[in-house]
Amino acid sequence: MERTHQYALSGYLIALADDELILGHRDSEWTGHAPILEEDIAFANLALDEIGHAKLWYELAADLLGEDKNRYPDQLVYFREPARFRNLQLVELPKGDWAFSTLRQYLFDAFEALRLEALSQSRYVPLAEIAARIRTEELYHLRHSQAWIPRLALGTEESARRTQAALDALWPYAQALAAPLPGEADLHAAGIVPSSAELFARWSAAVEGFLTEAGLQVNLGAPISDFSRKVHSEHFESLIQNLQSVARLDPEAMW
Amino acid sequence: MDTQWPRYMVFQQEGPDQPVVHNGTVHAPDAELAMLNARDVFVRRPEAVQLWVVLADVIFTQTQEELSTTASINRLIDADPPPAAGRLIDFYVFGKFTQQAQCRHVGEVQATSPQAAVQAAITTLADKQPLWWWVFPVSAVLKNESTEAEPMFSAARYKTFKDQAEYPVVTMMRALRNQKANQKDTENTK
Repeated sequence: MERTHQYALSGYLIALADDELILGHRDSEWTGHAPILEEDIAFANLALDEIGHAKLWYELAADLLGEDKNRYPDQLVYFREPARFRNLQLVELPKGDWAFSTLRQYLFDAFEALRLEALSQSRYVPLAEIAARIRTEELYHLRHSQAWIPRLALGTEESARRTQAALDALWPYAQALAAPLPGEADLHAAGIVPSSAELFARWSAAVEGFLTEAGLQVNLGAPISDFSRKVHSEHFESLIQNLQSVARLDPEAMW
Repeated sequence: MDTQWPRYMVFQQEGPDQPVVHNGTVHAPDAELAMLNARDVFVRRPEAVQLWVVLADVIFTQTQEELSTTASINRLIDADPPPAAGRLIDFYVFGKFTQQAQCRHVGEVQATSPQAAVQAAITTLADKQPLWWWVFPVSAVLKNESTEAEPMFSAARYKTFKDQAEYPVVTMMRALRNQKANQKDTENTK
């Protein structure tokens, strides 16, 4: 792989990994708090899976940059400044109620499934292999979150109201999925990664159909003003503080 | 008011040549979510090739002890007047053979009622008598589709899990404690 592509791809992968990490962190906040024990276990599983996927992407980025695969992911996660994370605002919003977290998971999973399908066809073989492996697990995530949507949206009056409120709140943030990831243009031209805009078009069609069928009003209101992954919401700093607090107590600690 | 979701029994087959065995229960509002819950609760680590969920209420159970007492036979007769036009339905038959063993799949029978299914199982299936029988209609079972097996179960195959012993914390704590104790000793001898 060409050197410029190596750098571009490592940036791309770190953005992907940041999405997974932060979503996994938010999911993990349900541990001990989910509506029932079984769902508590399920959501903790999701959280672990997402964080595991983040690790795989960070490690591949480390490979591309010639960094130590065993240390680099920890450095990025535990010692990076909040402003240098490249995740979407969609995944960093506070976990909200059950409808909010489940719907966010669905919106994200549905996009991930498409992106991983495309990435598993990548011309860069190590990337394609990891994508294929993650995709298997993400298909299960999608099935899980997808199963919940109609049950919430068509459930009781209150669950319907909450699901609609969650969709209204999340939709403007979800539009940022259309924005290209860091380094995407070059990598796409080289057949290494898909175009986010193309994936987004397919995602919109599928997701809007599914949500409408579940009786939800898909709100096409204004998207958030800044899609850049360099801009984070007011909630992000405390999330990172929480995530990094233990590691920063003793940076030399061995685990 | 009972606000608890209904209970589903979870059955799991760990390999193509293994029997389907009872593995536990989950609560869920419906069979589809019971299937998802079953996967998350039971299949993360041990392997599986197949999962079944069935509403616990539809499982008819009878222990050997119950079968051998007249009282229970009378109870059965009272509870189960034979249907006039007996429509045969397919039942799965499970048996628990020792106190420790899981209830496992032993075969299928056709019968007009759960009670009749147990009787049919006693005459046609059991090479050795289980301690208790479970029967339930084949139609009541939700099984994972074969196309779903990969996303549902593959993680359990390739994920490695760290053993507690691999975390060196205990050893490290001991080393630190020894170090501190030694320091004190040297200070004392000064």
